[in-house]
Amino acid sequence: MKQRRPLETARRAGAHHARSRGEKDFRALLDAAVDAIVVIDDKGILEEFSLAAQRMFGYTAEEVIGRSVNILMAEPYRSRHDGYLTRYAATGEKRIIGIGREVTGQRKDGSVFPCEIAVGQVAGVEPPRFVGFIRDITRRKEDEERLRRSEAELRLAQQLANLGNYVLHFRGGEQDHFSPQLYSILGIPPTDAMISREEYLAHWVHPSDRARVLQAFESLDAGEAPLDIEYRVVLRDGRVRHLHHITQAVSDGSGTVLKHVGTLHDVTDRRHAEDEARQLQDRLTHFSRLSTMGEMAAGLAHEINQPLSAIATYAQASQRLLRQPQPDTAEVVAALEQINAQALRAGEVIRRLRNFVKNREVRREAVDCSRLLDDLRTLAETDARLHNIRLRIDAEEGLPTVYADPIQLQQVILNLVRNAIDAMADVSEERREVVLSTRRIGAHEVEVTVADQGSGLAPEATEHLFNPFFTTKAGGTGLGLAISRSIVRAHGGRLWHTPNADFGARFHFTLPASPATTGE
Amino acid sequence: MKEVKPTVFVVDDDAAVRDSLRMLLKSVGLPVEVFESGQEFLDANRDDRPGCLVLDIRMPGMSGLELQVKLNERHSILPIIFITGHGDVPMAVEAMQAGAVDFIQKPFRDQDLLDRINQALDKDAGSRRMLAERNMIRKRLESLTPREREVLDLVVAGEANKVIAGDLNLSQRTVEIHRARVMEKMEAHSLAHLVRMVLEVERPEA
Repeated sequence: MKQRRPLETARRAGAHHARSRGEKDFRALLDAAVDAIVVIDDKGILEEFSLAAQRMFGYTAEEVIGRSVNILMAEPYRSRHDGYLTRYAATGEKRIIGIGREVTGQRKDGSVFPCEIAVGQVAGVEPPRFVGFIRDITRRKEDEERLRRSEAELRLAQQLANLGNYVLHFRGGEQDHFSPQLYSILGIPPTDAMISREEYLAHWVHPSDRARVLQAFESLDAGEAPLDIEYRVVLRDGRVRHLHHITQAVSDGSGTVLKHVGTLHDVTDRRHAEDEARQLQDRLTHFSRLSTMGEMAAGLAHEINQPLSAIATYAQASQRLLRQPQPDTAEVVAALEQINAQALRAGEVIRRLRNFVKNREVRREAVDCSRLLDDLRTLAETDARLHNIRLRIDAEEGLPTVYADPIQLQQVILNLVRNAIDAMADVSEERREVVLSTRRIGAHEVEVTVADQGSGLAPEATEHLFNPFFTTKAGGTGLGLAISRSIVRAHGGRLWHTPNADFGARFHFTLPASPATTGE
Repeated sequence: MKEVKPTVFVVDDDAAVRDSLRMLLKSVGLPVEVFESGQEFLDANRDDRPGCLVLDIRMPGMSGLELQVKLNERHSILPIIFITGHGDVPMAVEAMQAGAVDFIQKPFRDQDLLDRINQALDKDAGSRRMLAERNMIRKRLESLTPREREVLDLVVAGEANKVIAGDLNLSQRTVEIHRARVMEKMEAHSLAHLVRMVLEVERPEA
């Protein structure tokens, strides 16, 4: 073993009686410390190197004592260290003494590691000597880095998703948390205070959505259901954003709500895209109805001509009756009643036609299936009559109502009926019948079937049947079935076809029954 | 023989159109029967009755044109007036080619329809008169003996009694007696009348 300079130090310090005792204490202290401890003189020459230091740097004490402390440092500290010592000696300017800082250490094997170092000057000795306490902070650095990275990633993810989150505490005085993206979504500068829930509900939530949102919050507060709602907010600058708001209450064992954990997702862009897609679909659907009506124009003219013709004939018969010496007034009254009824009938055809082609908001309501078939009958029979085809409507009694847009449903059925009629253009009289039937399937579905006895579907046609612009008809748009299927799907149903028993094809579609009518 | 009054038969699937036609025809004193489909009309076996048929060209199931075909198959002579809608001209042409007397587009003026109906009834009456006359002539022909029939054929062919006697190996006197019996049985006023009657029934039918 080399000489023990600390002993000399102690001697020089003049604590004579404590010498051997102090030396022992110091050594025990040095070796018990978790942190590495080194002692250097004013030239930076190592005088002490604790066990922990030996483990940390991979040197034995013999290898380093008497050498410059520089060997324990990585660049740039290694080159600068002598300068620090010189400057301190000259000016007393402290770079590290009494402060502690993070530096990079270097092991015997050349590998480097982050460490925190605190340096103290040994009191009352000249020339000055210094004690360094070194802590390996690799783990802590890694943890810090991981945390920093995951925070950055969360932040980026929230930015990308346009999703902010928050935590509201109700007990224990913990601080509420609002993520930066939450501020950004709400257009509040990150330096400003977050608005209160009361203010948010009263002034930020779109007035048209407020009642709905308040109700959702009430049931959240009552512990009935987590909040999961889409609504609009009006920001301070007047912009309207669509938000998807989810919040869960966190309770303790006794049911006391401790906090609300929630996310706000800005779905404005998605909403706009959806709106646009829906508008396009609606326009296409409307266009398809118009073109259907265009194709049906001849039949419709005929349909309106019927009552007009009857009216003219009744009126002329009445005139003749009244010119007779003893007119049969009862017959004339009956004719007038018929004239009235037929005028209303013509008006009804026009009303149904107008309803059918009107460009209107898609609106779902509880639809009574038999009412629907009644409304449809006029338009469907028009086409059938024009082609000398019988239309048989076979509706099961007591069907549940369906939640649907009635005009779009009429469009689907009319389209299927027209296809059925077209399929029977060349078949003999006995077969010329279209059967439109409705029935209940299970408790929750209604099935509508349109069956023809036409030429059936060619296998190569069935493959493309539902593709837009696929048509086997001269002058057909090829949109009918594609649009019909998308309408049925939008209503939560299915549309498919099967071969009919003897001839022709059957097209089926289902619709879910309205919830209110399925529970019987 | 009991005289059956001519009737206007109306076949139209539209109840209001059918009923208004019934009222109109009734108001001018025409007997009328209405049917809602071609099949109903066929089942009623009215097609050999005097009158005419007012027929909607478009009907679900059996169309007006198909009923016309079936009536032709039954050798019905009932004149048909088709009621057509707008744009049914090609069908009307087809109907006319198949023997319809007329068509009228609805809505129509009552007088136009009544005029057409009267023409059709006249035509039907004429056809029926002609048919009745032919039947009568045939009956008279059937009452002739084979010898009388032989004499008739030669008379109609324009042969003189002397030639007929030679051809049939009879005396001229005997031919004269047969000829007088033929004129009597055929109720002919003159030789020209006799010839016309024979040609009427022997002519191949149109």
